Amino acid sequence: MARVKISEYRAKKILLGDAYKGIFVHAGQSYSAKASKGTLVVKVDQGIKKRFKQGLVAVGVTPSQALKKIAEWKKKGFSQFLLEPLVPHEASEEQYLSLERVREGIRILHAGEGGIDIEAHPEKVKTYIVATDADVKKVANAAKISEGFLQHLVGTFNKNFFAFLEINPLVIQKGKTYLLDAACLVDSAGAFFTDSWGEDDIVTTGSEHPAEARVEAIAKTTPASLKLSVVNKNGALFFLLSGGGGSIVIADEAALEGAGKFIGNYGEYSGGPSREETYLYAKEVIELMLASKAKKKALVIAGGVANFTDVKKTFTGIIDALSEYAPKLRAQKIKVFVRRGGPNEKAGLELMQEFLEREKLFGSIHGSETVITKAVEDAIAFTGV
Amino acid sequence: MKNVLELVRKGTTGILVVGNHPGIVQSILDFDFLSGKKGPSVVAIVGGARKAQKFFFGPSELLLPCFPDIGPIPRSFHGRISWMLNVRSGRRAFDSSIAFFERFPNALGGHLFAENIPERHATELLRRFGNDKLIAGPSGVGLLVAGHLKLGAIGGTDIAQIEAGNLTTEGSVAVVSTSGGMTNELIRAVAGARKDLSFAMCIGGDRFPITSLTDVLLLAQHDPKTNAVVYFGELGGVDEYEIVGLLEKKKLTKPVVAYIAGIIDEAFDEHMQFGHAKALVARQDESARAKRDALRKAGAIAPDTFPEFLAELKKLPGETFHATVLTMDSMKNRRPSVLSTREVVDLDAVPTFVKNKKLIPQKRGFAAAAFEALLDKKLRSDVTAAFAEAVLQLLIDHGGEVSGAVNTMISARAGKDLVSSLSAGLLTIGPRFGGAVNAAAEQWLSGVVQDDAATHFVEARTKGGKLLAGIGHRKYRVGIPDPRVAAISQFAGLLKEHPHYDFAREIEAVTTKKSGNLILNVDGVIAALALDILAECEKLSPEELRELAACEFFNALFVIPRSVGFIAHFMEQKKNDEGLFRLPEELLYVRKSKGKGR
Repeated sequence: MARVKISEYRAKKILLGDAYKGIFVHAGQSYSAKASKGTLVVKVDQGIKKRFKQGLVAVGVTPSQALKKIAEWKKKGFSQFLLEPLVPHEASEEQYLSLERVREGIRILHAGEGGIDIEAHPEKVKTYIVATDADVKKVANAAKISEGFLQHLVGTFNKNFFAFLEINPLVIQKGKTYLLDAACLVDSAGAFFTDSWGEDDIVTTGSEHPAEARVEAIAKTTPASLKLSVVNKNGALFFLLSGGGGSIVIADEAALEGAGKFIGNYGEYSGGPSREETYLYAKEVIELMLASKAKKKALVIAGGVANFTDVKKTFTGIIDALSEYAPKLRAQKIKVFVRRGGPNEKAGLELMQEFLEREKLFGSIHGSETVITKAVEDAIAFTGV
Repeated sequence: MKNVLELVRKGTTGILVVGNHPGIVQSILDFDFLSGKKGPSVVAIVGGARKAQKFFFGPSELLLPCFPDIGPIPRSFHGRISWMLNVRSGRRAFDSSIAFFERFPNALGGHLFAENIPERHATELLRRFGNDKLIAGPSGVGLLVAGHLKLGAIGGTDIAQIEAGNLTTEGSVAVVSTSGGMTNELIRAVAGARKDLSFAMCIGGDRFPITSLTDVLLLAQHDPKTNAVVYFGELGGVDEYEIVGLLEKKKLTKPVVAYIAGIIDEAFDEHMQFGHAKALVARQDESARAKRDALRKAGAIAPDTFPEFLAELKKLPGETFHATVLTMDSMKNRRPSVLSTREVVDLDAVPTFVKNKKLIPQKRGFAAAAFEALLDKKLRSDVTAAFAEAVLQLLIDHGGEVSGAVNTMISARAGKDLVSSLSAGLLTIGPRFGGAVNAAAEQWLSGVVQDDAATHFVEARTKGGKLLAGIGHRKYRVGIPDPRVAAISQFAGLLKEHPHYDFAREIEAVTTKKSGNLILNVDGVIAALALDILAECEKLSPEELRELAACEFFNALFVIPRSVGFIAHFMEQKKNDEGLFRLPEELLYVRKSKGKGR
């Protein structure tokens, strides 16, 4: 459903096959300098932008120097590295090439010169569109790149469900093409259709909260959508929102009222999750909220008027979770604010109201006749943020 | 594509549903019914092994035909299919969509419901069909033309939502949104602003909607019914600049009220990936603020807050709201039937065998031959032959509710063969179902032999709450005679004497004093007259009659014709194969099982 970055190693392996001589090193594995010979390039391979400028690339090192570099980077918390043979070349041989899937086909950006500083010279970049096979020849001629190479690039891009590929710099020496540096985004929805890349190749920034990881794991087991991002672990407003669009409208209201930085989490459930799935999701949000050090906290259960997500069913799941934590929630004087509409709205809201009143957690409750932002407004007024 | 809305309003609304989502299909049928259509817009469903699926159309039920794939849909359906509703997963939506449009090249468009359809598949679909079809998605909730077409979950799946959104009344405001949930929120907001909808389309939150925002807006511009456009968009992507472009070039001149969500992104340290695939700010011009400002500059109304946005809707041109009063009472408490079947024989029609105390001569056919085979003798009398015909005709079926027919149908639905399903039905025949003919025969035999007083006989036989065989009916009672009993009873008039029949009637006279329902029933009268006819017309001795009862001859009179009935029920279930049968979850758990009852 989204574009995700894969490691440079995997991208190049897919593009070049056995001809690619790079070696991937993971922090957990031991690696002997003997495995590499000659002059090397070593870099951190975790999808980080502007590596060169951050000192996360070392060019022209010996194998033992490369190992030292890796040890140094490990200490900084990096965990994935790439070793490649150095390709000696002149700065003037460096070109820029990128491919991106767009509405019309594949958009190709190319600059005959520029290399890593290309962003400073947008006027040098030419844009082409490849919609059909015939376009490849035209673009190759216009950009003066080998047609065979471009054909291969476009074919690989399509076959492997790539969404974005940036080669910078691209070096062409005596008709031979070298991809010195590559960044690649794949379309995660393509995972089912290809086995050239998989879960292990997707790079993450590594700062994921355990609750986020747990929700991600649940989301993988259901056709419904479950998303969670921890924004401020000591926030005052915690969100159990439903609907991709509605959830932003509700969060917007908090920002517009100046409460943006008090938001503990963003996330949404949609697509008709079951009672059990909603229960597991709600638990994560409630635990985050209980752990927050903010003085006055509120839980906002809100969303638009659902098309097919059953309000009663999902609310029953939320109540399952709330009842597990009710004493703790009361102890922290947390109140719950609700706005929701959709199938079984009346029954769902009645169930929730009855539960919240009985458990002394009641803040306010609204149905589809009230504006979508009402619950979050009430919660902001309650917490006084 | 320009006139697609007009075609829909003229009735080009036939939908093929690809995949299984009964809730959405039911909501489409409810919308159709409440819009005053004569029949459902869903023509057929593709997917699964069943051949039919039951839905409500208004208060009553109907079966929609189902096919395993698009290929086997018969030609006769083709002219009626104009829209695809594809509810398959992201893994299977692409192939089936291609197959649909190849098979139905004249279709007007469709909707792909799944999230997680690869970008490459979306761009391939838009390259092939994007120019001349109206296709909502990938993802989102589909397309709605008020009062005419509901293609997807759009507007809700509850009858109450169809009413609250006023979806069946044609109006003048178009709703366009990337988000499924917000499409519905906007539909409600339009109703809340006392306006009516012309059409609503959710283009989906994926990166490459097949029908682009520009195309939908031009559709609104060219639609004579539409006076204004209400739009919901989010941060991420640059689609909103399409609106800006159309406004600047005066290609879109109708008023546009837009809300662009995502100001919240500014409150975070890093740009965040929100719910939809596209909802991530990669460049500055993709921020909610930038897009909103550009829209304003181009002349759209793009308020900062959602409440302000709602206030703007009230100011839009267009006639004011006229809610159609929907008669929904009949739909609110409807319950699905347990099984769908047909009347195998006309249960109300009773054939005449005896008229004015004279036998209507029958040709000796199967029934007479069957009696001869069972009795091991040639039938002497035409009365016996006619009686055989009468009994076998009357007992073929007695409706689908009876336990034997139910067992046959359930076995057929479980995928069992004819012999197995028939056996399942036959194995039900016994003391409580169908086996009463033999028991009644034994009863009348012993009563006549004992020459017992009826009162005494009844008392003795019903001690401890026991029931008399051949007595009692659920529906018929004194004053409402069973026409079949009356028809069979006519045979008594053809006999010189009929002691068993007389005895049975004496018993009835006693039992009906207790309760009007305790009348002589079909089983009882058949048993009694079979005994009398065999004794008088075929000269069988009392010993021979007892022997027949002992080897269940009288039950055979039920088993033979009812086998025909069961086979008819079996065939009916196979024709409309609705898949494995399961009772609705309304069972009484007489003992609590472990782990239940959360």
